[in-house]
Amino acid sequence: MKGRYEDEKLFWIPVLIAAVFLLPFLLKGMTNSYRYYLYVLNIAGIYMILTVGLDLLSGYTGLISLGHAAFFAIGAYLSAILVDQGGLPFELSLIIAPLLTGLFGLVIGFPALRLEGMYLGLATMGFGFIVKRMIIALRQWTQGSNGLQVSSPHIFGFTFRNDWDNYFLIYTGVVLTVVIARRMVRSKLGRAFMAIRDSERAAEAVGIRLAKYKMISFFISGVFAGFAGVLFAHTSHFISTDHFDILLSVYFIIMILVGGVGSIYGAVLGALFIVLLDNLAIPLFKDWLQTFITVEAGDIQSLIFGLIMFLFIIFQPTGLYGLWLKVRIYWKLFPFNPRKRFS
Amino acid sequence: MPDLLIDNLHIHFDGVIALDDVSLTVKSGEIFSLIGPNGSGKSTLFNCINGFNRPRKGAIRFGGINLLRKKTHEIPLLGIARTFQNLQNVPYMTVLDNVLLGAHLRISKRDTVKRWLSRKQRVAEEALALEIMDLLGIANFERKYLLGQPFGIRKLVEIARALVSRPKLILLDEPAAGMNDQETIEIAKIITEIRNELGITVLVVEHDMRLVMRISDRICVLDSGKVITIGKPDEVKQHPEVVKVFLGEGTDA
Repeated sequence: MKGRYEDEKLFWIPVLIAAVFLLPFLLKGMTNSYRYYLYVLNIAGIYMILTVGLDLLSGYTGLISLGHAAFFAIGAYLSAILVDQGGLPFELSLIIAPLLTGLFGLVIGFPALRLEGMYLGLATMGFGFIVKRMIIALRQWTQGSNGLQVSSPHIFGFTFRNDWDNYFLIYTGVVLTVVIARRMVRSKLGRAFMAIRDSERAAEAVGIRLAKYKMISFFISGVFAGFAGVLFAHTSHFISTDHFDILLSVYFIIMILVGGVGSIYGAVLGALFIVLLDNLAIPLFKDWLQTFITVEAGDIQSLIFGLIMFLFIIFQPTGLYGLWLKVRIYWKLFPFNPRKRFS
Repeated sequence: MPDLLIDNLHIHFDGVIALDDVSLTVKSGEIFSLIGPNGSGKSTLFNCINGFNRPRKGAIRFGGINLLRKKTHEIPLLGIARTFQNLQNVPYMTVLDNVLLGAHLRISKRDTVKRWLSRKQRVAEEALALEIMDLLGIANFERKYLLGQPFGIRKLVEIARALVSRPKLILLDEPAAGMNDQETIEIAKIITEIRNELGITVLVVEHDMRLVMRISDRICVLDSGKVITIGKPDEVKQHPEVVKVFLGEGTDA
């Protein structure tokens, strides 16, 4: 029996993974400020892990979350507290903290069974505010709004000291996340998620328990967000409630929108695109604009992100990943490329 | 294989009586058609069997189990699958995945975990669907996204999704609605194949009288939630009240 996977081009995947791990060496050879670029890529990597999880929830299962910064924060604070105050080894915290964050996902998943669309968005947003207040209130462990110093990641005797080391840690996480998420969405689990998104009736009629699978989706999404949080806490060495703003949750949504809702690679591309834009393009643009008028960095950021989201929704609703698919088809058919196909 | 027994089923929505003491039996291995004008309660009856609607009175028994006590997602577990009149499939999934969706209960947790690790398991999982897709003649479409497929294909995908769960009883809600003559003939062939080759009992709601008369073993005529008559196609065709309420005068379908 011929299977769909026989002719899939799996060859490119190891090449891509190798490229990811060779990139720092390339950057080092090319520029002296490679450490800054690595720092930016590390942030992108952490957000990639989170947006892949968010995409499983919002893109695949169709449950919108405006509170993902809260899961991110829970993962970060849990790991910081467990490792630095509880004496848990980092290796274990890397597993336990995300799982505990997943349990918080289940807690917010309960109301989600009865809420839809905008209302769910508001409920998760409220969850974000609650978590932020709770972190400030639990001063004893979290130092309140002063922020918390966090130790470096330490795995089997090796300490990740700088952005160079962290890059390899974070991108190992990214590769793992992407592989796991891809496997999930192509299995029974992913099909159930998509069926719930597109037709709850059909899903129930084939025997899918809506409540169960919605909860699983929240749990998995929470685990990924928690994992991203753990990496964030230990690689940035300092966390405070200011990092985990409602605005961050909105940026996560922008990332999956820009990348392409409902595709794992899309979530990765979106996170990369937005972080590069934020850290590399916007400062340049701001400097240029500064020659005419006085501006604040934050204003420009909001303006540009808003504009980008707007433009993507109107002109490229399938996101960057959809754009890539179009380009690929275009080149495959190259001499025969009726432009109509792409209108 | 068990029979489907519907016993004094009664359901109303805010004063509109959708089903009024409906009793009928679908025997194992039979192609049983439900016909009637719009709003006569055919789809409501399907929704009751399927658990989307909860009747106030009566019982639906399948293999000694009262379906009204079961939750919607437990119905397929008993071997009852259905299709929808308004297509309910997932546009951003391939045709193959849409069909595999129906195999949800056949794929165990262990198989899913195995599938994450081994390619062989993936191919085995796909074989479940390809078998049925071959039968319906849509195997060529396996890798295509459902979005953008013609209506006829989406309709067949809907039927394939129901079949892949290996049901004992399949409920087809207007399988030929919106199909052209050629496709209707194809559908008739498929429905007979479902019964003859797979041995599945078929309960079908349909408006196309030629199709109904050709394939059915027995027909039930509903009007305003009441059963008018149940019988063989020829008997039903002759029934005076049926001619009046449904077929209309001068129709020799």
